[in-house]
Amino acid sequence: MKAPDPSRSLRIVVVHGGDAQAGDAALAAQACRSAALRVGLLESGYDIVASLPPDIFLPERIAQLQPDLIIVDSESDARDVLEHIVIATREERRPIVLFTEDDSADTMEAAVAAGVSAYIVAGLRAERVRPVLDVALARFKREQKLLGELADTRQKLAERKLIDRAKGLLMARHGLLEDEAYGRLRSLAMNKNMRLAEIAQRILDVEDLLGERPAKGVK
Amino acid sequence: MNIAGSDRPETETLRIGFMPLADCAPLVMASVLGFDEKYGIKLVLERQQSWSAMRDRLTNGELDGAHALYGLLYGLQMGIGSPARDMAVLMNLNQNGQAIVLSRALAAAGVKDGAGLAALMREQPRRYTFGHTFPTGNHAMWLCYWLAAAGIDPLAHTRLVTVPPGQMAANLEAGHMDGFCAGEPWSRRAVMEASGALVAPSSQVWPDHPGKALGARADFVARHPNSCRALVAALLDTARWLDTSATNREAAAEVLASPAYIHAKVDLLRACLLPRRGDFPGLRFFGEGEATFPWLSDGMWFLTQQRRWGLLREDPDYLGVACAVNQVELYREAAALAGVDVPDRLMRSSTLMDGRVWDGSGPVGYAASFAIHQREPHVISA
Repeated sequence: MKAPDPSRSLRIVVVHGGDAQAGDAALAAQACRSAALRVGLLESGYDIVASLPPDIFLPERIAQLQPDLIIVDSESDARDVLEHIVIATREERRPIVLFTEDDSADTMEAAVAAGVSAYIVAGLRAERVRPVLDVALARFKREQKLLGELADTRQKLAERKLIDRAKGLLMARHGLLEDEAYGRLRSLAMNKNMRLAEIAQRILDVEDLLGERPAKGVK
Repeated sequence: MNIAGSDRPETETLRIGFMPLADCAPLVMASVLGFDEKYGIKLVLERQQSWSAMRDRLTNGELDGAHALYGLLYGLQMGIGSPARDMAVLMNLNQNGQAIVLSRALAAAGVKDGAGLAALMREQPRRYTFGHTFPTGNHAMWLCYWLAAAGIDPLAHTRLVTVPPGQMAANLEAGHMDGFCAGEPWSRRAVMEASGALVAPSSQVWPDHPGKALGARADFVARHPNSCRALVAALLDTARWLDTSATNREAAAEVLASPAYIHAKVDLLRACLLPRRGDFPGLRFFGEGEATFPWLSDGMWFLTQQRRWGLLREDPDYLGVACAVNQVELYREAAALAGVDVPDRLMRSSTLMDGRVWDGSGPVGYAASFAIHQREPHVISA
């Protein structure tokens, strides 16, 4: 993690879209944008590990390459394929950056405000690429951190409930005071080298298993 | 028609996104036939290349409304794969008209139904791949329901991929997939061009199932109730027109075939919109106001399946969510404007292909009752 310039070592995958040969003007424009973007990225010193066609093999190739950043045209029909990847790998999301000709600040702000996991690369001039990618990545990392904190809080809350239930059980079974029950749990955890929540879960599991029988105690 | 005074649309121009699919007919024909102007609004239709782009435009305000997968709108409401947004379903736009298609190779091996597929998969184990159109969407749900009804666990025993509908036939032809579920005209095109064989029309999975919904952001609806009411009224008129006669369907097929809308052969769209006698039940737009009603049980069903397949990790307040999303009151007012009957219930009872009845009651139990599922057990991690 001591790379001198981490943003330069980003592994970027570009999903190239459109078709320069097609009669369809929209597809031809997409192909142009895609080519311009790749040039822009290379000129800015980014490492494009692959430029992938938007086909059925895209998810597998992305899984193999494990890029840090995926860049796709906002008008590409491959976007739903990427959506599949986003949902299938909800635990390890990576930022997807959209690019488009639409360089109005309003559109970009609206996309950001809507929480799109995506940023619009305006203009596609080489000098514009870098700041936009930096912003995109920074925001993505911030979101991931918040999501991580949220999950952490949820987990702590769930553990807290478990510990409280196990404590209540010990108090009822052994006529202990709250402090004593907590002390018992803690020393069990220390002796067995387990976390409090794990010990609590085990105690509750045993209770489930043995049910109403007058238990002599819980080991 | 009173469109002056307090009923006056807050905005006359409504930007509506649509996907090039046969079931966009109500929106296109409302605009072409001028049903929108009758209610004092003007639809500006914007064709979209992907559901993802449509979703983003809907949430960031570039679109006011959309012809959207029912399941996508509920997925967005629940924040599956994207930040949660309060959404509105104004009405159902169609029933039926999607299909599950298998490759020629599977058809040649004698697979005619789910049971045949399950038997072949046991005899010749390998990785079987099936395509749908969006992870939280209707086609994914029909495909998974159909596979699971045959005892095939779609998540454990097959590989599911999202493929743009226009590429389905080519991928099937090339042997990249074993089958797919998509909407007309793409499913029928694969069959007509002999890339694949029809194995189950979606009406076989769930007769008269909900289809695309007219979706909008909840805050847009709250700020533009008159415009939204006018929009629903205009689409009710159009749905009635579409189901009135074969001549009208014929006209719709010709309009939809144009490059501005679906860009496909007229014959193909005719086949989608004018089912022949003895054919399976095809696209239904009106059904005397039964097909257009935003049934709460329809919305809840998508939540139960999203829960079943682990897209939702916890049971939501099924009824509460459906009540908030499906705009029944606004629909009723619009139906009164258009002179369309409104059902006196909020739920309907349906029997799906496996004989299971869904009537909106006991959603938590229903969602948990399927033998094949992936509901992710709660685990305390070390």
